[in-house]
Amino acid sequence: MMFDCGWLRVAVVAACIGIVPTLSHAGGVGFGEDDANNSDDGPSYFGFVREVDGPGVADAKVTAALKDRGALVTRTDIMGVYKIPGFGKDINPDDVAITCAKDGYVQANVQRRPRDPSDTKDPVEVECYLKRK
Amino acid sequence: MKRFLFAAVVALACCQAGAGDVRTLTGSVTSGDEGAMEGVLVSAQQTGSPITVTVVSDEHGRFRFPDGRLAAGHYALRIRAVGYELDGPQAVELGAAASDVALKLRKTTDLAAQLTNSEWFMSMPGTPEQKRPLIECMSCHTFERIVRSTYDAEAFFPVLKRMAQYANNTTQARVQSRLAEREVHDDLVRKLAGYLATVNLSSGPTWPYELQTLPRPKGRATRVVITEYDLPRKTIAPHDVRTDAQGHVWYSNFVENFLGELDPKSGAHREYAIPVQKPGSPTGALDLEADGDGNLWLAMMFQTGLAKFDMATKTFQLFPVQAALDNDAAQQSMVMPRASGVDGKVWSNEVAKQSILRLDLKTGTYALIDPFKFLPKGRLHAPYGMAADRDNNLYFMDFADENIGRIDAKTGATTIYPTPTPKSRPRRTMLDDQGRLWFTEFAANKLGLFDTKTESFKEWEVPTPHTYPYDVFMDKNGELWSGGMASDRVLRLDPQSGQSIEYLLPRPTNIRRVFVDNSTNPVTFWAGNNHGAEILRVEPLD
Repeated sequence: MMFDCGWLRVAVVAACIGIVPTLSHAGGVGFGEDDANNSDDGPSYFGFVREVDGPGVADAKVTAALKDRGALVTRTDIMGVYKIPGFGKDINPDDVAITCAKDGYVQANVQRRPRDPSDTKDPVEVECYLKRK
Repeated sequence: MKRFLFAAVVALACCQAGAGDVRTLTGSVTSGDEGAMEGVLVSAQQTGSPITVTVVSDEHGRFRFPDGRLAAGHYALRIRAVGYELDGPQAVELGAAASDVALKLRKTTDLAAQLTNSEWFMSMPGTPEQKRPLIECMSCHTFERIVRSTYDAEAFFPVLKRMAQYANNTTQARVQSRLAEREVHDDLVRKLAGYLATVNLSSGPTWPYELQTLPRPKGRATRVVITEYDLPRKTIAPHDVRTDAQGHVWYSNFVENFLGELDPKSGAHREYAIPVQKPGSPTGALDLEADGDGNLWLAMMFQTGLAKFDMATKTFQLFPVQAALDNDAAQQSMVMPRASGVDGKVWSNEVAKQSILRLDLKTGTYALIDPFKFLPKGRLHAPYGMAADRDNNLYFMDFADENIGRIDAKTGATTIYPTPTPKSRPRRTMLDDQGRLWFTEFAANKLGLFDTKTESFKEWEVPTPHTYPYDVFMDKNGELWSGGMASDRVLRLDPQSGQSIEYLLPRPTNIRRVFVDNSTNPVTFWAGNNHGAEILRVEPLD
């Protein structure tokens, strides 16, 4: 299996999607004030959207939703990989529901990889599976 | 409720040639270095008139002003061709016969005076991170005043600290200070001061780098007529511009409490005074939007709150923010009343709190909504450009970051969509009738599309580097029109083919909101020159 090792898996996917650079915030106003303070960042969410027992699904919509509070939405790249920057550290990752969708498919299931709950920055890897209608 | 004041009615000289008064002006442009020159902007302004008409020389160096645009009289001539200045003639007398003038250009001795902000960006050495803060400077002035300065890093430091306390609705003609002091980190100021001292004249009488220029227009980019309408005071700073059904141009004044109206046919100009609600606070308005009835709404910046202008009675109705939300830092830059007929709610923003405001027209009170409350604290956000769909669901640009947001009008649920390009800083936007949100990615130098139906993005690079597009408008033909504060160019881009044209403008032009009048054929582009006290009309000839 290619991704038997959890950390290797995280590293490879992170490298694919550029997780490290994108965690370093977006431009500020004023004199280039970058948000150097990321101490309030919760974990990011990443993974693949795949067909069941099949390849990654490109341009699938991925939603990270907090019930009744809001959602972050992105789409998968050509490999079927997605990355969502994440919520604040006060948000429990277990309260974040990852779903995926694409025309012609229905969501089959979602698999969340185990993570170290004590590490609040440990990215949350969630695979989302689609099957053709 | 305060009633409007009919503050000023300024009748400008009418420069449109009347029937039977048609004069033809044609000519050629040559220089000793190039011979016949393509892409030279030739401008003619009649003595005493506030209207200047500009055409561009073709591949043979020939130019022609459209018949009927110039009346008989004495016209001052000027040109724009980077690296050159007009040797002569400087003026022409239009009489009964057609005039054909031979313009001679000579090399300029002061190239730096002709550079756009984009060209300074291209010329200055430094990393993107070093240059990035400079995109804020363009809000108030061009780079020329920076690069011609002789400050060293130490001398720059207090200058930058002082400038940080100016209101963002500041121009060189009208400087306004914030009442609430803005916190600025000294280490960031020192970093920027150190960089600026490497690109100005602090180390010698000339710049320690080569000045780079953009090419002159060619081909389709020369097939255009540009009309500039000088406004009667240098302090007028047109920010958002739009036309009404009668073809009149309406604009917000960024630094003074007036709404402006221009009749391009007669040249008549009027101003409608907006009562000052907070004496001592910076004056002026930013966003100018129409509601479903065609009435205009203004976001009143540091004067706070919103103003509605009834187009029938020409009166204002003010909607001040309630005391609990008002303070010296409070600022409303945006307003979105388009679908307020659905639920009686008008969207706005509170810049100081990085939040959305929602005005209830029945009660006159605002609700404060933090659309980023579930995102990490400590990140800068800034709800900016806004659009509303037919159900009054709000779409907004997160100008300080890299997101588009949606707030559901019924449930209040917020959805955040990060743009594909990081650090994009989405700025202004429009929603077309197919549910497509067109927007600019100011810091990424791109135009963007967010399809609200498929919730997917597309992006297009702006062809000229360091353009930093401020706004974009999709016309009836499916072409995009854009402009900004850096390049003195209007961009016309076909998103299907990716082909684009850039129309060079006759003067340094600080463009904010852009507008396209789809009632003409070809369409007509309108914008204000925020620092130049003029309204700008661009008429493509194809």
